[in-house]
Amino acid sequence: MSDATLIILLSTLTTGLMLGVIFSLVAVGVTIIYGSIWMPNAANGQFFLLASLFVWSATVSFGLHPAFAALLVIGASVPLSYLLEATLVRRFYDVPNRNISYFVLTLGITQILAGIFSITYGVWSDQFQIPPIVAGVTMIGPFPIANNRLAAMLIAGALLAALFALLRYHKYGRALRAVFQNRDAAALRGVDVRGIYRMSFVLGNAVVFAGGVLFACAYSFDLTVAWTMAITAFAIMIIGGPGSVLGALVIGIVFGFTQAIVSIFASPTVAAFSYLGAMLVILLFKPSGLFAR
Amino acid sequence: MTRHMSTAVLAAALVAAAAGSAAGQESVKVGFVTELTGPWAFFGSSCVAGLKLAESTLNPAGKRKLEFVTIDNQTQPAQAVAAARNLDVQSKVIALSGPTSSDTALAMYGYAEQNKVPFVVPVAAFPQLTKPGTRYTFRLEPNAAGWGYAIVQFVAKQKPGAKIALVYSDYALMRAIAAGLKYQAPKSGVKIEPEIIFPQGSNDATVQAAQVRAANPDWVVVIGAGGFDNTLTNQLLDIGIKAEQIIHPFGITTQVKNWGKRSVGSLYGTFFDANLPELTAEGKKFVEDFRAANKRQPSYVENYCYVTAQVIRRVIDADPGAGDDREKFRAGMAALNTKESTSNIPIAFDKNGARKEYMYFMQIQDVTEDGYKSKQVYYTEWDPEVIPVYELVK
Amino acid sequence: MIDRILASRQSQLALFALLAFAVPLLLSGNRYFAFIAGITLVHVLWASGMNLLYGYTGLMPLMFAGIAGISSYLVVGLTSIGWSFWLAMPVGALAASLVGVVLGLPALRLKGFYFTLCSLVIQTVITLAFVYFVNLTNGDTGISQIPLPTLPGGASLHGLPYDLVLAALAVIGVFVLIRLVDSGFGRRLIAVREDDELAETLGIGVTRQKLTAFFVGSLYAGIGGAFYTPYVGFISPRSFDVLISLNVWLMVAFGGRGTIWGPVIGAVLLAPVPFLLQDYYMIKDVVYGLLIIGVIVLLPAGIVGGLVRRPKPDPEIVPATVGEGAR
Repeated sequence: MSDATLIILLSTLTTGLMLGVIFSLVAVGVTIIYGSIWMPNAANGQFFLLASLFVWSATVSFGLHPAFAALLVIGASVPLSYLLEATLVRRFYDVPNRNISYFVLTLGITQILAGIFSITYGVWSDQFQIPPIVAGVTMIGPFPIANNRLAAMLIAGALLAALFALLRYHKYGRALRAVFQNRDAAALRGVDVRGIYRMSFVLGNAVVFAGGVLFACAYSFDLTVAWTMAITAFAIMIIGGPGSVLGALVIGIVFGFTQAIVSIFASPTVAAFSYLGAMLVILLFKPSGLFAR
Repeated sequence: MTRHMSTAVLAAALVAAAAGSAAGQESVKVGFVTELTGPWAFFGSSCVAGLKLAESTLNPAGKRKLEFVTIDNQTQPAQAVAAARNLDVQSKVIALSGPTSSDTALAMYGYAEQNKVPFVVPVAAFPQLTKPGTRYTFRLEPNAAGWGYAIVQFVAKQKPGAKIALVYSDYALMRAIAAGLKYQAPKSGVKIEPEIIFPQGSNDATVQAAQVRAANPDWVVVIGAGGFDNTLTNQLLDIGIKAEQIIHPFGITTQVKNWGKRSVGSLYGTFFDANLPELTAEGKKFVEDFRAANKRQPSYVENYCYVTAQVIRRVIDADPGAGDDREKFRAGMAALNTKESTSNIPIAFDKNGARKEYMYFMQIQDVTEDGYKSKQVYYTEWDPEVIPVYELVK
Repeated sequence: MIDRILASRQSQLALFALLAFAVPLLLSGNRYFAFIAGITLVHVLWASGMNLLYGYTGLMPLMFAGIAGISSYLVVGLTSIGWSFWLAMPVGALAASLVGVVLGLPALRLKGFYFTLCSLVIQTVITLAFVYFVNLTNGDTGISQIPLPTLPGGASLHGLPYDLVLAALAVIGVFVLIRLVDSGFGRRLIAVREDDELAETLGIGVTRQKLTAFFVGSLYAGIGGAFYTPYVGFISPRSFDVLISLNVWLMVAFGGRGTIWGPVIGAVLLAPVPFLLQDYYMIKDVVYGLLIIGVIVLLPAGIVGGLVRRPKPDPEIVPATVGEGAR
């Protein structure tokens, strides 16, 4: 195999993984919240962007180390989520068709955040880049990869594994699944449904924030990433099956690789069309998603 | 000198008296519809920052007051049309100006031409804004297809028979640059391989960077937008493309700063740069004042908006009637023969409202916390219709 | 007395028609305000179409603007090769309706909110397609200087007459919606919205009802799109993107879905907002967002649904099954 072919092969592999883990993280965050509270958070893209922008401010404007800034921002999501839960989210827990209410609510939040970003960050720059967490380049055979991307990829992978273990084996995870499946039955068995709701909202947002932070480490970004990410996360959740963490994980990775592989043979635009098209076909034949429980 | 001044004052007084019966001492209003929110907010706000600097010296005592009414178009063409209509009908502006994005500019172009409102475009490079038959629109920025033409000229001069890779985002502006480049390349003996288009909303270009490297081109022309422009550049450098091989068709301050030290040696095109050797005294002052007010150096966007305000001032000074009559204002724009106060580049418009076009190529020398250094390596100018721009880009 | 007169739909419609025609006449001295009124009337038409789908059928199609866009681009394309607007308009609108039916197919399998998410993705694909097929749509550059419709005799439709045509369209749109909702078809739609499995066992052809609703709703989108285009004189993919869909949908939710007048009021209140807040661009989005949150928290059934019907919760507006049924 020639070096050129090997480089293209390895670049496809790393791109697929890199995009895949980020997509998965965000989709897992979205699906944890949707699966438990029935809340389709249209603002997840804005939350994702919020995390990216805050890391940018912390590093570029305040000179913090990117790793420290990243932890700080993910930590900041917790009080933020509690605040939102107490003021706006909680009041809809018992509303019959609350997913529509939540959708409207989060569209409102989207509008507000987009408006604020556009007159602050939007005026400060047209593109945002944070300094690398780790400098340097690693050679995988003939293929050079920036250590920073490698680090972001590994951290995202580790986070996904930890989340998966938490939801599978920990007490909270079991309770969450019980609420996913049947809220009333779970309540009868003594599960604190509202506590689980709150916990899911906080955890889901923290995961979305982590996705935003890692994305900002690996890529330059601008304000348009919010909508792209929101739509992608929704698409992954629908194909994987809403509420299915495994589904979000697997389909997220598949999305990443689709984008990487299709763009070798066709144009990147065709790649975008292809996975959205695949989504429509899957929906027609298995509307509840591939990994529905 | 004194006599000149007193004549001027007398003339101004006469004009004021003549206008007094109808319009009084009303100021001349120009509608400035630009992107203050939405995806293009940075460009609109930068433009307004340039305009603000011009406004501070725009109204010396004794001259009829010139006033800019700024409205946000939300980077939405429909809003731009509504804002144009608002300014035309409600504020009775003498002319429109402002947009920095091709789609909002094109939307306003339609309104201006249909309703016979003079329209001075500071920064929007889409060729069709000055297509044949254009009467009321005048544009300061060279058209984007021409930029592509200029890049090929530059490359062909550096290395005859060169091979370039062309990577660009699927936006109107980028497509127009690519169209000019692709038209001129075979004529100048330049090969293009590969050509890669990214859809809007792309995040990653590693695979494409690997393809570019495999093709082993002499130069890579990188035409990105927003954050992706930077990702694209970084990933090309990551995979082993040398900084000296990369040509950016345009570079504004935030872009150059984000390309960073690793891009030292890269080339970018521009129409005004703080590092140009032949800036006028006013140009140098503009750079310093802008830096003091905005903590970054200005690039061509800010310069064009600064110059736009002065151009409008000159038209009204040349013919006081142009402040009250749109046809006279249009005639004044068409007859204009002046220079950019910042760089002495001539400004005159052809029958379609396009300028004699020009482009600088700069090479990045250093990037620091508070700015960047670059040196001019090439300058070229051309007639807007040297290539069939209006057929290349519909 | 007045209450009783206003209680009948005929008199409500008459009042609406009076207002719809009077406003452009009153504003004809100021082309800017008249323009805002015209745009608002197009949105009344769109909101009524969206209401048929969202309010009465329980489907939330966020590709609504995309469908309007298909009609719009078709009309522009056909008129540019020499067709008359009056021939191109029905062709474009019908084509949009057919596309709407095809894109509505997932709604047969997907219930409630799953379809909404799916339609969000469909809208994204349509927008990508508008950008990608440059030869047909001129990409994200958009199409400028769209000619006005010509009238018999060669004059072009513009100014006040155009506003009045839009008023007529809005009135006809609401009138047709009233007739549909009061017919057997309307009752079947509501049955489908409330519980489509039950509706099926009652012998209502759910598939046929849903697809017919998509056809009619998309026709509203298409006709609105066709008339919107020369009125504004410019279109680009962003004229028909997901935000426009969301706006139209919001007008329905804000006004009160499943009521005739709620969405009309929603459109009248919300469509002019971006124009009237032009000078307040710093706070515009925040105000809009707060408005949305305020409505969903304080008036979850919309203005008409919440204020007018508060004493007695109407079964029409408590569609408990929307959304939670997909498992």
